[in-house]
This record gives sequence, C-alpha cells and structure tokens, in this order.
Amino acid sequence: MTDGQRSPTSDGQIVVSGLTKQYKNVRAVNDLSFTVAPGRVTGFLGPNGAGKTTTLRMLLNLVTPTSGTATISGHRYADLSDPLRHVGAVLEASSAHKGRTGINHLRVICAAAGLPKQRADEVLALVGLSPAAKRKFKGYSLGMKQRLGIAAAMLGDPRVLILDEPANGLDPEGIRWMRGFLKNLAHEGRTVLVSSHLLSEMQLLADDVVIIAAGQLVRQGPVEQVLGSMAQSARVRVRTPQAEALTAALKAQSATIETDEQGVLLVAGVDAPTIGRAALAAGVELHELTTERPDLERVFLELTAGKAGIR
Amino acid sequence: MNLVRSELLKIRTTNTWWIFALISLPLWALTLLINWLQADALTSNNLGDLSAEEAAQVAAVASVDALSSNLFTTGQFFGLLIVMLLGIIVVTSEFFHQTVTTTFLTNPHRTAVMSAKLVAAGVLALLFWLVTTALNLVAGSAVLNAVGLDSQLGNDAAWRAIGLNLLAYLLWAVFGVGIGVLIRSQIGATVTGILLYLGGSIGAIFVIAILAERWGDWINNLQLLVPSLASSLMVAGADIPGNPPRWAGAAVLIGYAVVTGVVGTLLMRRRDIS
Repeated sequence: MTDGQRSPTSDGQIVVSGLTKQYKNVRAVNDLSFTVAPGRVTGFLGPNGAGKTTTLRMLLNLVTPTSGTATISGHRYADLSDPLRHVGAVLEASSAHKGRTGINHLRVICAAAGLPKQRADEVLALVGLSPAAKRKFKGYSLGMKQRLGIAAAMLGDPRVLILDEPANGLDPEGIRWMRGFLKNLAHEGRTVLVSSHLLSEMQLLADDVVIIAAGQLVRQGPVEQVLGSMAQSARVRVRTPQAEALTAALKAQSATIETDEQGVLLVAGVDAPTIGRAALAAGVELHELTTERPDLERVFLELTAGKAGIR
Repeated sequence: MNLVRSELLKIRTTNTWWIFALISLPLWALTLLINWLQADALTSNNLGDLSAEEAAQVAAVASVDALSSNLFTTGQFFGLLIVMLLGIIVVTSEFFHQTVTTTFLTNPHRTAVMSAKLVAAGVLALLFWLVTTALNLVAGSAVLNAVGLDSQLGNDAAWRAIGLNLLAYLLWAVFGVGIGVLIRSQIGATVTGILLYLGGSIGAIFVIAILAERWGDWINNLQLLVPSLASSLMVAGADIPGNPPRWAGAAVLIGYAVVTGVVGTLLMRRRDIS
C-alpha cells in the first residue's frame, strides 16, 4: 500500500500521484497521492467536502486535474482501450433516465460499449433486480437504483470497481448485501475502491483505508495498521465487584483508570493479560475483561479534527 | 457505429420521440390547411389592385414551381422546430437525468460521443422528413389537383425543394444539439430554442421591414442572417424578386450548423462533468 514497487503494467492497481484540482476559490484536491491494491476492498474516507468525489471523477476522466496524474493499471482512464471491460464505476444513484426501464438503461450501455445485450440480463440477475427489469427507473426505490448502478458497473466484468458512497440510502438489508457483494469481488482478485463517510460500515467492509481531509491525504494503510497506530488510546473494560481493590492493584502497574458505571473500570496503559494477572495476584473477582478496540470512527475524528467542515 | 446505435437506442427507449411525433401531426395538418387556402387564393386571381412590383412577386409565388414546392414541403415551419427540440433533448436530457456520467464512462472519447449525437439527431431528422414528405406527396398533389393544376409529381423545382427541405431538417437538428451543449438546462435550452425560432423569425421580419422602409430595400437581404428565414428562403420553389437568392439561404444555414456543431463539441471536450 505504501511505497512498494510500482510496475506500470501491474494489473488492477490504482495509482494517484500528486493529484490537484483547483476550482476558482477552492483547492478541492491538493497534491494527493495514494495507491489501491487489487484483491482488497479499499475504503476511501473523508468528511463531506474533503474532495473524495472530485478525486474519483479525476480518476475517471470526468474532471480534468489541474496537475498530477491518476492511473488504473498504469493507464489514464481515457487511454484504456476498452474502459468498461476494465473499470466499472458507480457514481450517482440516480443516473438513469426516469422514463427508461432498467433493462433498457443497461442495453443502451451495452450498445455503446459493444457488449452483447444478454449481458444486461445477466448483470440484472447478478444484483437480484431481474423482477424489476421492465419497470421504469422512476418507479425504483433508492436501493434498487443503487443495485442498477452496480449492475451497470458489472456489465464489462471489470477488474476494477470504483464506487462513490454506494451505501447512501440503503436499508440495513441492502447494506449487508452490498458488503457481501463487494467483499466477494475483492476475493476474486478484483480491485474495489469505495468512498464513504459511514465509518462503522467501512470498518466491516474495508481491508485498507485511505483517509483524506481538506483535499489532502491524512493516512493510508491496512485498517488494522491505521487502528493500531492509535493503539495508545485502546482501553480495557473490566467489570468487578471489588473495584477499589483492583484499582489499587493496577495503580501499581502505572495504569490510568476511569470508572464508568458502578463496578466497571476503563483501564488504559496496560493490556488485558496484565490486568488478569494483577487481579489473580490480588485475589480480585472479575466478571468481564474486554479490550475496547479503537474504532475507525474515533481514529477518523482524531485524524481529521479541525480539517472537516465547509471550505 | 456502436455509439450511434446506442444514441438511437436512447431515443427509442423513451417517450420523447412519439410524443413529438404526435405533436407534429396536428401542426402539419394546420400548415396543410393554410397552404391549401393560399394556393387556392393565388390561383383564383382575385387579389385586388397591386403595384407592378407586388404583381411580379405574386406572379413568382403563384408560379406552378413555387406552389408545388410550397405544398410538398408543408409542415416545414413546425417540423424544423420539432427537429431542433429533439436535437436539444438529445444533449440536455443527459444532464437532466445525470446520465452524462455513464455516457462518458462508457466512452471517454467525447468527440466521438458528440459526433454520434449529431448523427443520431440527423437520423431522427431524416425520419421526420421522410414521413412528412410521404404525407405531403399525397396531400400536396391532391390540393394541386383541386386548384386545377396537375399533381406536379414530376416537377424538378418541387423535387429540388423537397431535397433542400431535407437539408433544412438535418441542419436544424444539428443546431438543436449545439444549443443543447451551450445551454445544459433542459428547460432553458428548450425555451431559448423556441424563442429563437418563433420569436426570432417573427421579430426579425418585423424589424427588417421597418429598417427596410427607413434605409432602403437592401436591408431585406439581412433576413438571410435569421436562421429560420434563411431556411424558408432555401426551400422556396423559385427565386422571388426582391429576396436574396436561395443558395445564399442554404450557405448561411450550413454555416450556422457547422459553427454550433463544432463549438458544441469543443465545449463538451473541455467541460468537467461533476
């Protein structure tokens, strides 16, 4: 993920390098560099207005960068000989003509990309939308629209999937479906880049994260590593009827202790085995001993503190 | 070729084309009625006292060539408007429904996409012309027979007018695409197009007539610069005294179409889609 060897022909790798977009008054993306590896789900995170969508649109040749480059498998999107067979993208949930049926929406794309029109039926089945094939787009629910967008992205059976906020407007069942679908694609060796501001969802879905704020890179790496870098804030939750005795025993281990509710201690500075040993030595009864992992949301808020908001 | 097929499929899979066809039909019938009454009046020779100059103009308009040309291009005035609006919608609906993202993802070569749109709009114009002309050949010859002239199906001037009518349909479709690129808002582009076409031609006739009275007849030649007047001049069956020659109308129209088509394509190449 970091500065590994970048072969220009590496299949499915996304490389963003020094990417900058200057609008009249706002530098939406500022000297942004990161890489996205195949075979993994990469979460692209940032507060609203951080420049996620602009970055993805520059990657897809929809917006011209002020400077810098963004390549997929070593090529700019516009230089890919058969873009739909290489990259599938879902950018807006509502990007179909309201009066056109779902199947016709896909057939229009098939025609333009030179794909056989049976592909339209196949991808509809893939996303579970076959029953609504002949319904007009305006009659689709938000979840169905998202599925149609994913179906369109899958038409060319691409190696690389790029999705902008795909969980927006999905119900819990839809989100669960999407999670399984994307993980499966990554498992097949495809590159999956998903932008989102839903951190809890990303923690369940992503293998790697790229976090940006105010158009700049804040952190990138495997989720575990990014979380681990904040491990000092990890705490252990201990429930015991003998809180005072345990507190005294742990103070000797130079732990910092907060009390939460009655009989619950939040211990920082020592790990769970140390606490267990200390309790055993002191003859203290334990009812619960849980390491509270720092979640992505807390890490994210710490990392992007002061950089979010309206620019 | 794939792109043109895709563009035509886009048109075919929405209501737009047949709604516009349905609108066109009564408008065509209305113009047929007007043309019939005009042909009837011109051939019955009771137009009252005319100056020598007016008489010459009437004679030109009343010639068999002019009458048959006019009848065989019935429906042109509204037909061109409809075709221009279709051209506008080919572009603006992509922005209105946000499908332009998908379109440019499917093919990032924007010049090719815009060319396909121009061709698709042209094909649509061709179909509208084909159907209208088929109706005109039946209805027009019936009217010509009714006013005591032959059906004129062998009249060279009439066929030339029919051919030029096709050119006008194609050029107005191209205009429409150009306007659609310049004004992405569906409503904005449609209203502008209609105003330009209707208001533009009526206003221009009015203004040019006043100016000509003040500064002399040469001002009349300026009507060439008004696209809708240029196209109606182009399909007139005969050169009418006091009006600019027909080829000039064609030249002006082609010029407009080329400029809007090229400018539209260049703009689309550079534009950020967000």
